[in-house]
Amino acid sequence: MYVGILRLMLMAHRFGWAAMLGTLLCLTVSHARANSVLVFAAASAAPAIRAASASFTERTGTTVTVSGAATSTLAQQIVRGAPAQIFVSAHPRWINHLAERNLIDQVRQTTLLSNSMVLIAHRDSSLNTLNPASRSIAAALGKDGRLAIGDPDHVPAGVYAKQALMTLGVWNSIAERLAPAGDVVTALTFVARGEAPLGIVYRTDVGLSDAVHIIGSFPPNSHEVVRYDIAPVRANTSDTATALLRYLTSEAARPVFERFGFIFLPKT
Amino acid sequence: MIEVSIKKSYGSFTLDARFESGAGVTALYGVSGAGKTSIVDAIAGLNRPDAGRIVVGGTALYDSSRAIFQPPEHRGIGYVFQEDRLFPHLTVRRNLQYGSQRTSGHNNGPDFETVIGLLGVEHLLDRLPHRLSGGEKQRVAIGRAVLSRPRLLLMDEPLANLDSTRRYEILPFLEKMCRDLEVPIIYVSHAIDEITRFADTLVVLDRGKTLAVGAVSEITARLDLGPLVDRRDAGTVLDGQIAAHDTMYKLTTVSFQGGRLVIPAIDGTVGDRLRLRIQARDIAIATTLPDNISTLNCLGGTITQVSASRQAHQDIQIDVGVPILARVTRRSVVELGLEPGREITALIKSVAVERAAAP
Amino acid sequence: MLTPLEIEIITLSLRVAFWAVLFGLPLAIAAAWLLARTHFPGKALVDGALHLPLVVPPVIVGFTLLVLFGRQGAIGSILYDWFGFSFAFDWKGAALASGVMAFPLMVRAIRLSIEAIDQRIETAARTLGASHLRVFATITLPLALPGVLSGTVLAFARSLGEFGATITFVSNIPGETRTMPLAVFSLMQMPGPNDAILRLVLVSIAIALAALILSEALSRRISARIRGSVP
Repeated sequence: MYVGILRLMLMAHRFGWAAMLGTLLCLTVSHARANSVLVFAAASAAPAIRAASASFTERTGTTVTVSGAATSTLAQQIVRGAPAQIFVSAHPRWINHLAERNLIDQVRQTTLLSNSMVLIAHRDSSLNTLNPASRSIAAALGKDGRLAIGDPDHVPAGVYAKQALMTLGVWNSIAERLAPAGDVVTALTFVARGEAPLGIVYRTDVGLSDAVHIIGSFPPNSHEVVRYDIAPVRANTSDTATALLRYLTSEAARPVFERFGFIFLPKT
Repeated sequence: MIEVSIKKSYGSFTLDARFESGAGVTALYGVSGAGKTSIVDAIAGLNRPDAGRIVVGGTALYDSSRAIFQPPEHRGIGYVFQEDRLFPHLTVRRNLQYGSQRTSGHNNGPDFETVIGLLGVEHLLDRLPHRLSGGEKQRVAIGRAVLSRPRLLLMDEPLANLDSTRRYEILPFLEKMCRDLEVPIIYVSHAIDEITRFADTLVVLDRGKTLAVGAVSEITARLDLGPLVDRRDAGTVLDGQIAAHDTMYKLTTVSFQGGRLVIPAIDGTVGDRLRLRIQARDIAIATTLPDNISTLNCLGGTITQVSASRQAHQDIQIDVGVPILARVTRRSVVELGLEPGREITALIKSVAVERAAAP
Repeated sequence: MLTPLEIEIITLSLRVAFWAVLFGLPLAIAAAWLLARTHFPGKALVDGALHLPLVVPPVIVGFTLLVLFGRQGAIGSILYDWFGFSFAFDWKGAALASGVMAFPLMVRAIRLSIEAIDQRIETAARTLGASHLRVFATITLPLALPGVLSGTVLAFARSLGEFGATITFVSNIPGETRTMPLAVFSLMQMPGPNDAILRLVLVSIAIALAALILSEALSRRISARIRGSVP
């Protein structure tokens, strides 16, 4: 039930608990502020960011706390003064939102990662391959099955999924057959538990559960480029935070991100 | 009719009670903590003894040897509690009628109109309990239990929570009820006046044990029952009949098995049965027949028992035809040589004799 | 004033809350009576379990519901295979989620109300020939009515505001499971001001206030009638 546990953790974080915990941590360790960094990262990227930061901690001894939650939630918290030092967004909409308010240092903003969207089904399902472009998703859903995706209104993975479906001309045939989940991992869970026959998630999420497998992928040009942007938060910037940011955007971090399935963008 | 034989252990206190009684009113007498309420609760099925049996009208309601235990709702036993326990959300009428659907009771019971008339609650029928006085509530509680057509009625000190005015208000109703109802009643009380007024059989309890069971007049004349005889107002209950009225001096003559007693006039016709109570301290003893004294009642009799005592007084049981108790100083006992077998005269002041009835 | 979409959202919320409370009520009364009036081995455990939705994160409740009542769930699969009945991705699932989250509130309020009833009155009823069932129906329940009422209203209000378990169990399907809280949450995640949020929030508050005032008034009427029995 790894995906279950992970999902639970992410959902807990969604409601800002880790952010609060992180804040408390920062406050209690305030004397060592110079020696710790708080990162707010989109849920789908948080595990990879955490893994990459671990090497940084090994090298420098700086503690890195990564708080993973929905991009939208994290952005709201930063607007309201959360003590995050680095923000990793899963969709430009929110990093632009913060940029408009001059809350991030746009000079140091970098597009860090990219991802692709895949169509998944339960491992035991009779569906083995399905080309989304072939417009047979609606038929594959059967009589009353639903397509699990992140809520297109506010979950980045959902936004990309909707774009892809629209580009491929199949949106209308399945718009009423969706299960818009609160976050992409819940969408994955719906498929993993067999409640929804199909789902659209990030390629990098598929590894979270061995109950699902990829049956099709969406061409990269069917949706906006999936962009994970990383930027320092102006109000809380520090030298150690800057150092971490530099590390994460350096080649040294590439292997970690690629191991998770991300496309690492910064070029050296 | 009713057989009770139960044992129950409550930590430091053990109940071990045994009695049988027939029709009429059986009073359970004892001081607080003697176990009276536990016994009636057991009869009603509200608690479960450790061992024993309870049989009412030939039906075993509880028998530990045969694993019989009837739940309260199947026992057909009405219960009037110390606190009225009226249903606060129902009118008096609905309260009264609550138990009348019972299938496990008598088939003929007193009817509604009769009972509310007897208890004087006709004008209260549409009120809610919180608008009744304490006495009215208790009357309704009695009516409710009676109207549930019980085959046995239990009353646990129903007047204990009422002030004296209210008590005297209800006593006549209770007395009439006890007389008119064809159902046996078990009446728990530590109030001597209530018991002497209603009871036919008396069960005396002390610290969970049955000390004595018998007719009221016989029990009240015994010297060995501490809870009764140690009272300041200890006395004998006598059953008698009105023999004559003296209208000039406003006196009544009552005949009883020990002779005649002259007492201040009471209501009633010649031939009416009644009960009298004479407190032991109101009986003086003379070894020679006195002349020129005011006491109208001088009864000859023989001393049957003298209590052992280190206190100022001693109790003496005298047989005047029936046993009566007198209380005199120890000094007098010694100086007059009062001992069993001695023939003496008991002097009973007329004004001291109480009818076992309201003043 | 309200757009058709908003009316649909509000109507759905009311329907979900109504059914959540309707089905929860008999169970809550039974549970409250058991906890207040009986003793059995494991009672503390049952008591604790009933209160879990109050203390456990709502999303965990939602996830548990998914595991148990989803189409593939232990109970859900039986319901579907035998009766063709499904909670998944359906307003009925939203009602179940709301009902479960609100259940402990109902049980608590009703239980307190039953415990406040003098048991001696119930005993008196038994001596008058009433079975346990009759005592419950004619004495306990009527006297507990103020608590039942306030528990129901509380549960209704809680159901209207239920979010975490709902979105995790049945997702955010417009017209089916997008109740007011889910709709407001979605709207809040989109950058920029939004009048729809304000309207929905005001309606939520208005409904909750109306329910509270109504229940308070009814409760007082009932208490007056049974004055003296509840401390």
